[in-house]
Amino acid sequence: MSKLAGKNILITGASQGLGREMALRFAKEGGGGLSIVARHADQLNKVRDEVRGVTPKIDIVAIEADVSSSRDIERIVATTLAQFKGRLDVLVNNASTIGPSPMPNLLDYPVEDFREVLDTNLIGPFVLIKNALPAMIERGGSIINVTSDAGQVGYPGWGAYGISKFGLEGMSQTWASELEETNVRVNWVDPGNMNTAMHRAAEPEEDATEWANPADVTDIFVFLASDESKDVTGKRFQAQGDWKAQIHHEEHEGDKI
Amino acid sequence: MAFTFSLPPELSAKEPPERRGIRRDQVRLLVIDRATGEIEHSRFDKIDNYLRANDLLVFNSSRTLPASLRGCDCSAAHGPCMEVRLAEHLPDDSWLALLLCEQGDPFGCGLRPEMQIQFAEGLNATVLQRDERIPRLWKLRFSISGTQLVDLIYRYGKPIRYEYVSAPWNLDYYQTVYATEPGSAEMPSAGRAFTWKLLLDLKRRGVDTAYIVLHTGLSSYMDDELDAQHPASEEEYFVSATTAEKINRARENGGRVIAVGTTVVRALESVVDQNGRVQGAHDYTQLKVDNQHRFKAVDGLLTGLHEPEASHLDLLSAFLPPDKIRAAYEEAIARKYLWHEFGDLNLIL
Repeated sequence: MSKLAGKNILITGASQGLGREMALRFAKEGGGGLSIVARHADQLNKVRDEVRGVTPKIDIVAIEADVSSSRDIERIVATTLAQFKGRLDVLVNNASTIGPSPMPNLLDYPVEDFREVLDTNLIGPFVLIKNALPAMIERGGSIINVTSDAGQVGYPGWGAYGISKFGLEGMSQTWASELEETNVRVNWVDPGNMNTAMHRAAEPEEDATEWANPADVTDIFVFLASDESKDVTGKRFQAQGDWKAQIHHEEHEGDKI
Repeated sequence: MAFTFSLPPELSAKEPPERRGIRRDQVRLLVIDRATGEIEHSRFDKIDNYLRANDLLVFNSSRTLPASLRGCDCSAAHGPCMEVRLAEHLPDDSWLALLLCEQGDPFGCGLRPEMQIQFAEGLNATVLQRDERIPRLWKLRFSISGTQLVDLIYRYGKPIRYEYVSAPWNLDYYQTVYATEPGSAEMPSAGRAFTWKLLLDLKRRGVDTAYIVLHTGLSSYMDDELDAQHPASEEEYFVSATTAEKINRARENGGRVIAVGTTVVRALESVVDQNGRVQGAHDYTQLKVDNQHRFKAVDGLLTGLHEPEASHLDLLSAFLPPDKIRAAYEEAIARKYLWHEFGDLNLIL
């Protein structure tokens, strides 16, 4: 049985890096419908064609949009729900921006850039969740927010990006507790260091070959998108950590994890 | 229906409640008891006082389209520009739309079959013919269809706005919190006051919820004579098996089925059999609900305050005798209730 059979999944930031790998992996795992979103249509349409190559029968829609715009988000959700007849099972808030590169310290951070980063990385996921929830709340669903270790530690130089991820983690906790009595679960995942264009731009001095390939960190996302995680909500996971042990341990603590 | 009334212009809600200093669930609620005709004045966030465990609220989860598009006739040099208000998506994938000329007489700029309307890059439509039933509407076919068309409508469209609304409010003011599938020309506004907090509170108290989809058409054709006739339209609806089951269960358990909006009344009364059993269906309805109608699926109604034209009040007369409606509406006017999509609500139970 495919893990994601019949699931309709919306992924933002799907034209490259982790988002692209998730789209390919979800299709392989039997996802019924995929709505992929990114700012650049050319790259995004390439991913759509790649996914179709993997799973020709998949119901896929590619939406060129910017998650920093509430108007675009309304369009993303409407178009997705038109495609999937009102049903959505999984939302992955993956799109994010690091802001100016090289990243300035906060002291030198242009206010306009700061706002832009928060719009994409924090306000965008808030508006997306708000708009997508009605399609999930009756039948249940999974919301997965992609965070970073910069969302837990205030590294110098990671300014707006880190602050947006601190916010995203806090917001995820709030959503999870507000939605506790529904069947919608909210979890957030730190994928760890990955060899992606965004990470290379953030740390051009570092050796990117030491970082994981984004294709190798998608297991946790499949788990959280599938019914295997139906009792898991309000949790932070590290894709490159021992998340299986974390789940096992917490299951044995006897709590709803 | 035996009466009409005149609606003072100041009783049209000009802005969303959130923009006149109250929450969306703090609009006023006029409660009418069907059995006694007794009237109570309350506030929407106290609706739980009138509901009980096993009651079922049935909502229309259709999402509002930004159904007003601006386009110009590109089949003639310097062709006129117009507002195109989408009214209905037809089974053959064409659309019915109201075309309103930008300059001068709204219908006087040479609207005709075969006219080509250009909206934006990548979005055109061909005007096919006038609608026979509602002659202010034209049938048109867009250059693209399906999800791609939805995407472009959301990219270029704006919510339809009537003259009493004070500002071009963003589309999200025209959505209910539970809206999913896009397709309504205008907001199914009876459920606008619900918040998720209220919905979850009600659920905790045993009041269940279910959803249908019926994409609403236009409430006005910008033609007083035609609007007064209020021609009954044929509407597409979806009632899922899950919703049908919930309705049947609610009735078995002694709960009341409360339609949130007249669209829900129409859909549910179209899918109920002689014995009061509801079945899931996806179909079209022409059902007219008026004082001749005997309800089989629906026990109560949450709705806005209806317009003065007698035909708009017909549906209410299926719930209540005309004199009771008149008494309630006279009180609503005296107490300055607000009408229209951002206005106050009326619970008939």
